[in-house]
Amino acid sequence: MRLAAALLVLLAAAGTARAHEAAPLPALGFEPPPPGTYTLHRIMAAPDGEVVGVDGRPQRLSHFTREGITLLGFVYTSCADPEGCPLAYRVFDVLRQSLGERPDLRAQVRLVTLSFDPARDTPTVMRRYAGSRVQDEGRGVRWYFLTTRSARELLPLLDGFGQDVRSVVDRSHGQPKRELSHVLKVFLIDSAGFVREIYTSTFLHPRTVLNDIETLRRE
Amino acid sequence: MRRRAQKLAILLMCLISWWAVGLASADETCNSPYVTRLITGQEDYVYVWALGVEGVGDGFDKLVTIDVNPKSKSYGKVLGSVAVGVRNEAHHMGFTDDRRFIWAGGLAESKIWVFDIATDPAKPKLVKTIANLGDKTGYLGPHTYYALPGRMLVQALSNTKDKGGVTGMAVYNNKGDFIASYPMPTDNGGDGYGYDLAVNPKRNVMLTSSFTGYNNYMRPLGDLVKDAEAMKNFGGTMVAWDLKAMKPKKIFSVPGAPLEIRWSLNAGDNWAVTAAALTSKIWLIKPDAKGEWQAKEVATIGDPAKIPLPVDISIARNGKGLWVNTFMDGTTRYFDLSNPEAPKETYSKVTGKQVNMISQSWDGKRVYITSSLLANWDKGGADNEQFLRGFSWDGKELKQVFEVDFTKEQLGRAHHMKLGSKSLRSS
Repeated sequence: MRLAAALLVLLAAAGTARAHEAAPLPALGFEPPPPGTYTLHRIMAAPDGEVVGVDGRPQRLSHFTREGITLLGFVYTSCADPEGCPLAYRVFDVLRQSLGERPDLRAQVRLVTLSFDPARDTPTVMRRYAGSRVQDEGRGVRWYFLTTRSARELLPLLDGFGQDVRSVVDRSHGQPKRELSHVLKVFLIDSAGFVREIYTSTFLHPRTVLNDIETLRRE
Repeated sequence: MRRRAQKLAILLMCLISWWAVGLASADETCNSPYVTRLITGQEDYVYVWALGVEGVGDGFDKLVTIDVNPKSKSYGKVLGSVAVGVRNEAHHMGFTDDRRFIWAGGLAESKIWVFDIATDPAKPKLVKTIANLGDKTGYLGPHTYYALPGRMLVQALSNTKDKGGVTGMAVYNNKGDFIASYPMPTDNGGDGYGYDLAVNPKRNVMLTSSFTGYNNYMRPLGDLVKDAEAMKNFGGTMVAWDLKAMKPKKIFSVPGAPLEIRWSLNAGDNWAVTAAALTSKIWLIKPDAKGEWQAKEVATIGDPAKIPLPVDISIARNGKGLWVNTFMDGTTRYFDLSNPEAPKETYSKVTGKQVNMISQSWDGKRVYITSSLLANWDKGGADNEQFLRGFSWDGKELKQVFEVDFTKEQLGRAHHMKLGSKSLRSS
């Protein structure tokens, strides 16, 4: 029984690793406007609610979305849509490296990955999903991997951000499999807690995000 | 240029002998690329945004739900309607990005109504009225509702100050809170007019077109076309915008009120088309060899001397075909767009005494047509048919498969359409 559980963990970890090892990011199909030449309006206030980190400790989400610029994306760890969660992970990963090389930005920006599948994405699963990227005690860019304890805690956050998620059953590969149908949305949040940009797959690129971060910084 | 203006004036005067004109946009291939959950199979419902008519039913503008699934017992029947309690020149509508809500507006004022179509797609429910567009922006007559991530971009037709055609766009978040406004450009050749908008996010480009203001679109057409000064007040430009920055990049001269804009959805394509209503021309907007965006006239629709008045277009999902409805002659035409530089008409059929909007299913096998353009521009007497007609299309022939008579059903004038599905019910 213990062996079976260990195997399951290994298989899950292998799946997660595969999700991260993807093709290079697609090139941006346009030259984005230079930082500071456009305005990022306040779209809405980022909602607040209770979340848990990889250590299982409950915290308010606002703890991770105030005093600094936050890039927040919803994911679920078993997502395999190449234009969905894996894309967000890859973009965040590139941003982590780019921001890490910018001492002027590194301390001002944080990344937050929040699961919308609390039933499967426990703090332990989120820790595994994070791998070595999990917050590294202040030496690099802060990247927090969060989940919630229940759908009841999650729903107000989804509603507040306008992240639409539906549970569907995929029967295309024989065995029925529960999937979470969603459109990738990543939220840029200013230090006052206002959403200033919402990225879908077409605009979610390290160049556009870095320009937007720089635009917010110049305000 | 002067000769072109004279020619245009003559064409416009020909309108005196008719009693109508129109505009519109719809269908599964024309939604914002940010709208999720496209209906790729059989749609269950067509939602029709209908103009109220005094003395017809309750006389109010309303969202009408019609069953269009051939397997349903109520196929081709009205399932219900939601009236908004006023008659406000109902015109267009659009889905939010999550396709849970429809935003719909009227051209007589600046109100926007939000309908929940996710709780029960068969029974839309009015959940919000947004009434601050005029106060926040000075714009009048919200026309196009185009989803952006978490937001709705609204293109207006007019302004509250002089009710002319100079106008702009407003952005709201999905909860209905106002965010920002953007005036249509009036410098560098811009006329400040607005009508439709459509984006290609992969190229960071938004295109806008131009029509006319309240003073013209609310005026009886018979009077309007006799007023030479008023007839000068129609849009003749399109604008290419930097979508990310929401700034105009280039203004094109496109005479004769360019209306609906449709991007090719074919992977790798980077062009859009529009139809100019008053000159009866199809225009192609595409980058040239140097990457510079250009607009050029590529085809003629019917006989421009007879003012067929193209009022709506619908592009096939592969970008290879284009439906064009011409209001005056009640004709639905199909253009082969295999070469977008030279579209060719390959089919035409009279589908009504007056036709305005045309929508097609994602697979192109079903086509829906409505009749009304504007309350004061629709034809009179027996020509004033008001309907939703459903057609099948096998690539050779349009065959009518059902009709809902909006006058007989006491529903008013049938204008804009959006498709719905039971599968879009929120879980």
